[in-house]
This record gives sequence, C-alpha cells and structure tokens, in this order.
Amino acid sequence: MHLKLTRRSFAGLLGLTPFLSTARAEESWADIEAKARGQTVYFNAWAGSPQVNAYIAWVADELNTRYGIALTHVKLTDTAEAVRRVRDEVRAGKDGSADLIWINGENFHVMKEEQLLFGPFTEDLPNFALVDIDGKPTTRVDFAEGTEGLESPWGMAQLTFFADGAKLDTPPMSMMELLDLAKEEPGRIIYPAPPDFHGNTFIKQALAETIEDRTLLPVSIDKAIFTEASKPLFEYLDQLHPSLWREGKQFPQSQAQVTQMLADGELLMGLTFNPNEPANLVMAGTLPDTTIAWQNRDGSIGNTHFVAIPINSTSTAAAQVTANFLLSPEAQARKADLKLWGDPTVLDMDKLNPSQRALFNHAKVAGSVKKPARTIPEPHGSWVPLLEAAWLERYGA
Amino acid sequence: MNRLGAAPLALLWALPLLLSLAMLLPAASDGAAWHMALAHPQLWPALALSLATGAVSTLIALAISLLLIGGLSRSAMWNRLQAVAATGLAIPHLAFAIGFGFLIMPSGLIARLFVGGDAPPYWVSVQDPWGVALTLALALKEVPFLLTAGFAVLSRGDAAARLRAEARTAASLGHAPGSAFLRVVLPPLMKELRWPLVIVFVYGATVVDMALVLGPTQPPTLAVVIWHALNNAEPMTNGMGLVMTLLLTGALAIVLAAVALLKRAGRNATHRMLTAGPSLLQRPRATALVIGLAVTAMLALALLVLVLLSLAPRWPYPALLPAAVDASAWMAVSPAPLWLSLLLALAATAVAVASTVLWFETQDRNRDRWVIGLALVALALPQLASAGGQYRLLLPLGLTGTLFGLFLAHLTPVAAYVLIVLAGPYRAFDGRYIAAARALAASQLSAWARVKLPLLKAPLLIAAAIGFAVSIAQFVPAQLIAAGRFSTLPMEAVTLASGGNRPLTAAFALALTVPPLVAFLAAALLGRPRWR
Amino acid sequence: MALRLETVSIRIGGQPLIAPVSLIVAPGETVTLMGASGSGKSTLLSFIAGDLTSPFTTSGNVSLDGNSLDGLPPETRRIGRLFQDDLLFPHLTVAENLLFGMPRGPRPERLAKVEAALAEAELSGFGDRPPHTLSGGQRARVSLMRALVAEPHAMLLDEPFNKLDAELRQSLRSFVFEHIAARRIPCLMVTHDMADVPANGRLLLLKHATVTHA
Repeated sequence: MHLKLTRRSFAGLLGLTPFLSTARAEESWADIEAKARGQTVYFNAWAGSPQVNAYIAWVADELNTRYGIALTHVKLTDTAEAVRRVRDEVRAGKDGSADLIWINGENFHVMKEEQLLFGPFTEDLPNFALVDIDGKPTTRVDFAEGTEGLESPWGMAQLTFFADGAKLDTPPMSMMELLDLAKEEPGRIIYPAPPDFHGNTFIKQALAETIEDRTLLPVSIDKAIFTEASKPLFEYLDQLHPSLWREGKQFPQSQAQVTQMLADGELLMGLTFNPNEPANLVMAGTLPDTTIAWQNRDGSIGNTHFVAIPINSTSTAAAQVTANFLLSPEAQARKADLKLWGDPTVLDMDKLNPSQRALFNHAKVAGSVKKPARTIPEPHGSWVPLLEAAWLERYGA
Repeated sequence: MNRLGAAPLALLWALPLLLSLAMLLPAASDGAAWHMALAHPQLWPALALSLATGAVSTLIALAISLLLIGGLSRSAMWNRLQAVAATGLAIPHLAFAIGFGFLIMPSGLIARLFVGGDAPPYWVSVQDPWGVALTLALALKEVPFLLTAGFAVLSRGDAAARLRAEARTAASLGHAPGSAFLRVVLPPLMKELRWPLVIVFVYGATVVDMALVLGPTQPPTLAVVIWHALNNAEPMTNGMGLVMTLLLTGALAIVLAAVALLKRAGRNATHRMLTAGPSLLQRPRATALVIGLAVTAMLALALLVLVLLSLAPRWPYPALLPAAVDASAWMAVSPAPLWLSLLLALAATAVAVASTVLWFETQDRNRDRWVIGLALVALALPQLASAGGQYRLLLPLGLTGTLFGLFLAHLTPVAAYVLIVLAGPYRAFDGRYIAAARALAASQLSAWARVKLPLLKAPLLIAAAIGFAVSIAQFVPAQLIAAGRFSTLPMEAVTLASGGNRPLTAAFALALTVPPLVAFLAAALLGRPRWR
Repeated sequence: MALRLETVSIRIGGQPLIAPVSLIVAPGETVTLMGASGSGKSTLLSFIAGDLTSPFTTSGNVSLDGNSLDGLPPETRRIGRLFQDDLLFPHLTVAENLLFGMPRGPRPERLAKVEAALAEAELSGFGDRPPHTLSGGQRARVSLMRALVAEPHAMLLDEPFNKLDAELRQSLRSFVFEHIAARRIPCLMVTHDMADVPANGRLLLLKHATVTHA
C-alpha cells in the first residue's frame, strides 16, 4: 500500500504517467521502429533448455539484421529473480537492467499489482491482430485475470505426460486411470513437489478433475471455500501417494529431475508443460524413439506464456518491436518447429494467408502428442498459495 | 603505515561486508515475516536436519582427515596424499554432488555393477529422508579441505622440523608412533584446525546446491527452504526467508558456543590424557592407507562419472557404459563466461592475498580477532543472505551490473577464506627471523621479501589456490550482483542444471573443475620446500 | 667504537621495566647482564637493536661510535645479534646465509669472505649444504660467522648458548668470545648461566628493574 502511494506520487511529480500515455497515442508504429534502431534489449528469459537458448539466439540475429536492435539473452534460472530485480531497481529509482521478461502467472500478477510494468502496449502491436484470442482465450487472460495489455502472448503450454511406449502400452488418460496405474506399478510414478510449477500444475489438474463445483475454479476464493472445495482433491492425493515413488514421502525438487529419472529407467512416466518437450528429448537422444506423449482425455490444464516490459526499461521502443517480431508468423512458425523448439503458436491459422500458413506444416516426429486434448484454463491465481500451503501442511514434513 | 596497512582490507572487504550485513537487520523487526516463518510446517525439522547434516559430516571428515594425517605423515604416501587433497579441493561441490549422486542412485553405477536386473532396485539412497547421502557427500568433499588446512600447518619451514624433533623426543620417552602423534602432533594441529572445522560445519549446514541434488526433500534442509523463499516473487516470502536465515545463523552460533564450552570443560580431561604417560598406541598406517584409497577412489570415480555423463545423451539402466558417445555437450561450453570467471578469480585472489598480507604485516595480532570473526560471520551466513544484503547495498550505489561490483561480490568470500587459512601460519611465523635479518642490514621490506616470503611460500600458495577455487565456484553472489549484465561459468552451469540436461551440466561441471585443478597443481609444485 | 647507553629506561603499561641505566661497553669488552626470566633483559637488547615496538615506552639515548642511534631502523645500526636459536634461514644454504648480511662488493671478494668464514668455523666445504643438515654446534658457529661477516660495530647476544649441551657450550663460548674480541667490538650479552661470563668480564645484575654491578 505504502509503496503504491510513493510510486504514484513520484510519477505524478514528474508528470510521467500522463506523458507516457499521450506519447503512445501520438506515436505511430513507424516512429517506434525508428526509435528502436540502435537500442539494446536485455531479454530476461529462462535458459534451462538449449533449444530455447538457440531459438533466442536466432531471434537476436534477425532483430539485428532487420531492425538494427541488439538483443542480449539474460539467462535466468527462475523468472522470480527478474521480478525481484525490477522491484528493487524501481524502489531505488534506478534504470532497468531488464527490457523484456519472459513471464506468466504469479510472477506477472505480482508485477502488475505493484505497477512494475510498462504499457499497456500489447494491442497496439501490429501482429497482435493475428493472435487467436477467441480460440485461445488464455492469450488475454492469465490465470483467470485479464492481462490488460501489459504482456504480449508468445506461446502455449499444456500439461502433457510422456513415457517409454515399450514399457507402457496403455497410457492413463485421466487422473483416476493414473491412480490405477500407480497401484499396479507402485513406486514408479511421481510429480515434483510444489512450489515447483509443474508440481502445482499436476495438483491443479487433479483438482480440476476431482472438484465438485467447477465454477469455483476461475474465481477468487478464500480459505473457507478452499478448505471445503479441495476435500476431494486431498482424498485423491491421500489415496495416490502411498503408491508413488518412495511412497510419496519424498518428492523430487524439479521436473528436470523427474525427466532424468524416467530416462534412467527409475520412473515409468514424466510430465511437462511444453507438449513438444518429449519430441525434443527424443531428438536430443535423451529419450528412446519409442517414447509416447499424451494429454488427459477430458482436457488438460494449459496456459499462455508471455513477454512483458518492465516500467523502468530504457529501451521500451526496441522491446515493443521485439515483442511484435515474436508474434510474426515467421518467428512463431520457427518456434513451433519440432526440430528446433516445438513450442505451440498463439496465432490463429485462419487469420493467416496461405503462404504464412504453410510455414507451420511441421512433420510429426517420435514423441509428439498424437491426440491433443482441449485446454482447461488455469484456475484463478488465488488458488495457488492456498494449494501450496495446504500441500505443505499435509505432506511437507 | 599502521592505518594504511589496514585500509585495503577494510575498504574493499570489511566495510562492504559489514554494511551488507546491516542491510539484513530490518528483517529482524519484520513481525509478519517472523509469523510466517514460525508457522512454516517445515521450519523445525528442516533446521534439525541442517544442524545434524553439518555436524555429522564435519565429525566424519575430521576423523578421516586425522586418521590420514596420523597414519601417513611419516610415510612415502605423504606427498601423494597432498596431491590427492589438492585435486579433491579443486572439484567444485556441485560437480562432485552430481557425480557422487550418479554413483549411488538406484539407477546409478554401483547399482548397475552389483545389482543389475531390468529395472533399478528400490533403494533409498539419493535424497534419503535422513540426509545420509548428503552427509556422506559432504564428509568426502570436506576431507581434502581439512587435509589441506593440516598441511598448511605442518608444512611451515620451522614447524615441521620442530614437530619432528618433538615426536622423536616422545619416542625417546617410550611413546609408540600413534601415541606420539596423539600427544605431540595432534594438540597443536587441532588448535590450528579450529577455524577450518567451523567453516566446514557451517558450510555443511547451509549449502544449497548439494542439498538440492542429494539432500532430502520433505522436509529439505533449512538452507533449501530459505533458497526457495528468497527466490520467490512475493516480498512477504522473501522476508520470511531472511528471518529463517537469521534463525539458522543463530542456531549455528549456539551450537558453536556449546562446543567451545564443552572444550573448556573437557580441558582437564584431555590434559590428563595427554600427560598420562607413554602408551603403545601404534600408528594405524594400514587403516589409514585403506581409508585414503577409499576416499581417493570416490573422488576419482565421481570425476570419471562426470566425464562419462558429459559424453552420454542416454545412459539407461542397466548399461555399464553409455550406448552412444556424443561430444556435442562439450561444444556448448561457451568461452566468454569462462574467461570472465578466470579474470574475476585472478583479480579477487590477488587482491585478497595482498590485502591480507598487508593486514598481517601492519596490524597488531590482537586486532586479528575482528577480521577473522568477520570472515567467519561472512562464511557462516547462507550466501543468499550476505549476497542479498550486498545486492541491497550495491544497488543504490549503481554498482550492480558492473564489473567492479561483480569483483567485490567475488572478493567477499575469497578474502574471508584467505584470511582464515592464512592467519594461523602467518602469525605463527617466528618473528626473530626478521630480527635476525634486520640485524644483518636488511630493511623491513627486504627482510620480508628475502626471508619471510620464501618461508611462507607454501601457506601463501595454498591460500591463493583455495581463494582461486572459491572464486571460480561462486554462484549466488555472482548471480545477484551481475544483475543480468554478465554471465560467469557457474551461473551458466546452474541455469543449465535447472533444465535437466545432464550431459551439458556434466560438461560445465568439468569445465568448472579444470581451472582450480591447475591452480592447485601449480601451488603444489611451486610450494614444494627445498629445505626439508 | 664504544656502545653507550645514557639514562635508558623502559616502561610498560606505566610500570617501569628497566629503571634509568647508563652504561658504556668498551670496544672488545663483553659485558654480561644477568637477571631472572622475564625481568626485561631481552627487551633491553631489542631496544638497543632498534626493534622494540609498542606497548613499551622508552626514554634515554643509545649511541655507537659517538653517533646516536635514536630513530634509526635496525638495519642501519650495524649491530649484530645472536639468539637462543641459530635462526639460520632454512631456505638458504650455509653460504647463502653467510652472504645475506655481507656488505656489497664484487662477487669474487664476497665469495672469498664466505670461504674464509667457513674456514674459521672449521666448516670448509659446507657452503652448499642446507642448514638442517648441520649439527646444533655447527649451526651455532655458522650463525656467529653470519653475524660477524656483516661487519657489525657491536654485538648483542641473547642467551646464545642456552640450547646447547655442556660440552658444546664450552667450545662455542671460546669460539664466540675469541672472534668478537679479535674484531674489537663491544658486546653486551644476556645469560642465565654464570659459566658463560668471560673471565675479567663485567657482570651486571638486573633485579627489580634496576641494573647494578655485581
């Protein structure tokens, strides 16, 4: 509370806020592109995957050639680092060390609430017109809250499971079937512990499939409602855990560890948020080519991930040009190419012309999801801390 | 000269450190954060786990080290032991943890060798709930450190001869070699090992990366809980993390104080034991040899496993060797972070050693307590906290995201280690050598350069090598202060580890190991005394 | 070439360690100072040598050859010292130890001096040996020669024979006093052992911070 007042008065003192919005209304896209030339963009993005890093390196090359922008990939282990940094810098009145952040969900909410973001700018990007806002509502609604144009969609994510088809012939297509499988093969399945976001997603999937009143999911809830509504979820987990790896008394810290254990043969199946990660792993040789990937039959939790611009960035023009380029059919197609990264696109195929659409014809490879399921939108952000706390309470020690 | 002598150390290290710590104080008065911390269901079990892991691993490491020093100090193995210790020190903790983990995990090398079968056995090894895997790995990894500290003591030009003479005296009084070791060599050795033991204990109780790879998860060690809390996007949770840091530090201080009191109380008993008269306690050379070989084997195997891992995209159970060999991970090790890490390490080590020596030369030894105490505090706090405080200090000064700020961040732990490792040998130097030199018409500087420096060659080189290795492995402070503008080798490695690409992680871990290895080799070769 | 102390007093923490004492040591003379352990004998020697530091406070004047040594650092005072331990530098050979304090000059001359010194100490051929390979008595002789080849104008001996056995003490005593006397420099010695006192040498006692003639 105190913080907001200070920043508002600070901005008001310099007349910054009115100045910015007026400027944007008057600036044309050509003006922004012109201003962007010669600027540097520090793109803070998670760098745990060589495919992602390679893709961002390609983006940097293209931006340099086409727009004269120098993009540097600032490699993050965890997006929260960037959030903290921006918060500290704004508090200290310093210029931004980050110009563009790969972000979504809780991190985005924190930045939005604390007014750490530049914008709104998203809907003014020329390529935004191509985004599939109707078919993919999560491109404008992040964890059940509107993005308000403060973050530009970049790719899609959906909870996907994978396993070695040679060892598992009928994959479980629902959480109940997963429970049955766990009972048949005890000690061979596990999910990472919250607050790892894959762990959170697994639990949210179980929540979506066990909750009695689905209308509670998109709304802001409090502890009382939560306790009642989550009873079936915890009953499910109580049944599931004894059949899990180490009897559900120990959990891996990350999804990467789960994947590694699957590759080593210790586990039967793994999970991911990138539906094309299993195919990537097959191509990298980490997983055998008998790998299969699937999503739960009745729908699997999915969301969009975005890029956002911190309020204290000194290269907002170049950052916007970058965000726009990331939305271009060419960049989106390359990103969706399974041989390179395989992250699904946010664009609407119907809004593209035939030559643009052709860019997206990727061959199916081993490990890709055969029958993609529909997306279940993320529950409201208020569910997450309650889920994490309750899980910790029950299973944490 | 006195004031000036203290200046470099004070301005570049002590003052920034104190200010960084001061930045943590506001956390102590954050009532809401205290509430959150005390209500955290994992707080107390995690704390107990941290203390237990730290204490047990330290005791095991000490026992092994003493056994090795006692058993092998008069034998031909002495030099080889020093070489093994140096190599062991050079391996970064994270690298060893990954390699060791792969040895003992259910789908690991030991299971493949001795169990086999189609699917991995249901072992509870890595991430076991009692922290045994973590404790063992810590103990193994800290043996080289304690051995090196011991060598630094025993290799001083004057001390070695005196100890030998005293051991011979004890023999002439009827003490068997083992007894002579216990009563003659051990007491002064233990006195010098006090500080290294404290560091080992504190590190074991507060390490993050090793705990993430090998430690229990539900609950994890408190350091891991703090790590997650400090990295969280919510400021409230960050505050809780800082409060937990203060709690952890307080707990460590209490344990250390208790140990000190126990020692004082036990002094009479030890005195009686020491003066009990000769016994026939033989030096257990055979046991020492076996244990020495076992430790060496573990360290070597961990390295070997890392090499194999870095070349193997796939290595499914129960294959003893990877199916395909692919050096692409090696190609992905980027040169820029490597050069940056090397540059920072050289700068930090040089400045640390120079300013520390300047301090010892110009300051009265009564003042040492303050800097050594400060160094211990610096090493006793989880790096997250001291680095967090440092970040909060450097941000308004505009030093975050700068090379100088990054240098300062590296200097903090490096100077702390150098101070602690160098203090004993440096202060114990017989000042009469200098008096003799000056009576022979040598100026103070000339006496220092021609007499003191050569005689302190070994401890100085060892301290420098340790400082260098510490700098190369720095992650948390580097990450925070680099503020996205720079990338060092460990920063790249940890980021990759979060993606689970094991060959790449192994390749980077090996790249992290090479520079310190070279440094230690150099220190060993150059520090060899000509006057044994 | 006399060593002169003029009302030299040393205090520590406000208490007198050595009450004002005046003393002249003539060239070639050895004056012995005896006193209980901790009485301040070594401190006095340090003061004369020039490396006495805080927390001692001093007053009075030391002069050598008529020149005041006040404020001069030890290396310029031309005062040689022997300690209880030979303090031969372990990392240098015997010859290098001897060369250490030798005044600058052409190399052949310095090497010749080394040979001469070794011969005097009956250690010819030992030049290339490291000190730890010599016996205690041999090292003590080298230590004295090292001090003497630096051509000091005075010598300070701090219990130099203390660590040697009786037989060695005897031979070393004669060796030391012969050479010092031959060079006709004043020598102030501190010792425990009455037997160390040279015949006809002056003996002083330090008791209760006061120096008196025996």
